[in-house]
Amino acid sequence: MSVEILLIQTYDPSTNPMNTVEWLFAAMECVHIGSFALSVGTIAMVDMSLLGAGVKGRSPAQILRATELWTMAGLMIVISAGLAIFSSDPLRYYYSPTFRFKMWALLAGIVFNYTIHRRVALSGSSPAVARITGAVSLIIWITVIFCGLFFSFTAGGY
Amino acid sequence: MDMSVASLSHAIQSSDFFTAVRQSELFYPAVLATHLTCIAIFGGMILMTDLRLLNLAFRHTPASVVIESMRVWKRIGFVIMIGCGVLLAGSHLDKYYPNPYFQLKLSLLVVTGIHGLIFHRSVYYNAGLDRDGRLPVRAAVAGGTSLVLWLSIMTCGRWIAYYDDPHAIARLVRGLLRLV
Repeated sequence: MSVEILLIQTYDPSTNPMNTVEWLFAAMECVHIGSFALSVGTIAMVDMSLLGAGVKGRSPAQILRATELWTMAGLMIVISAGLAIFSSDPLRYYYSPTFRFKMWALLAGIVFNYTIHRRVALSGSSPAVARITGAVSLIIWITVIFCGLFFSFTAGGY
Repeated sequence: MDMSVASLSHAIQSSDFFTAVRQSELFYPAVLATHLTCIAIFGGMILMTDLRLLNLAFRHTPASVVIESMRVWKRIGFVIMIGCGVLLAGSHLDKYYPNPYFQLKLSLLVVTGIHGLIFHRSVYYNAGLDRDGRLPVRAAVAGGTSLVLWLSIMTCGRWIAYYDDPHAIARLVRGLLRLV
């Protein structure tokens, strides 16, 4: 059985509080925005440091150590709020190519953040490697955010 | 008074430039996405600066160093944000100016300006803020109020999009007056 049919048969979004409580959807969007500022913002601080323009007198490794818990907390909250938003109308998201691309970019961002990005920041690689890593990280996360916004302009009803 | 604001708003959004912005299929969402990206990158830095002032993050780096290092980035972010805001609001000013969340957002932005002035010398441009390793109470006050202000501004920004009755607040006030 396909995922869509299973979803239609087993889940009715019209009873979801995200759709019945007037302010809940907007409030969840605010949580989503605030927590991506926390997660992407802290990652961006490490990126700036890798690019050579971070906190004065502090290495990328020190900035990573100082922000990693906040990044982790931000990622957990932003994904939870994202799941709540997704649950308001799963098929609209499921059928949107923009949303699917966003999910791949998000996965790439998380994997990159906890593998290459982390290793380069902690090991003090050569400036060239550090710069490329910082730039790639910024590009991935900006892509995720752009896809999130463009989703609402590209996904109509289905 | 109200009519003149209405006609002024209409004149601004009807200018060739803002009409082009409004009618462009790609430009408007691109500006919105840039606005969001700035919230993530530069808003994240504001968050971390506030958390540092509250002594919750970056404890191994003096608050004055964190503030000083983030200053250039926050300025760049501020300029891009204002640019985005002018484009977004200017192209739909008819709809924006009577929106109470838009008005509240602008008022709160003015309040953050005042906040910056109040703590200008004592916190934000104070190189010896925590030289002895201890943060003064006023640093936590500055960080805490900044955090609340920016979260409120973000929330107002989101709520602008969900508001569609320009007379809701007037009706609420009239209803309350009738009760009294």
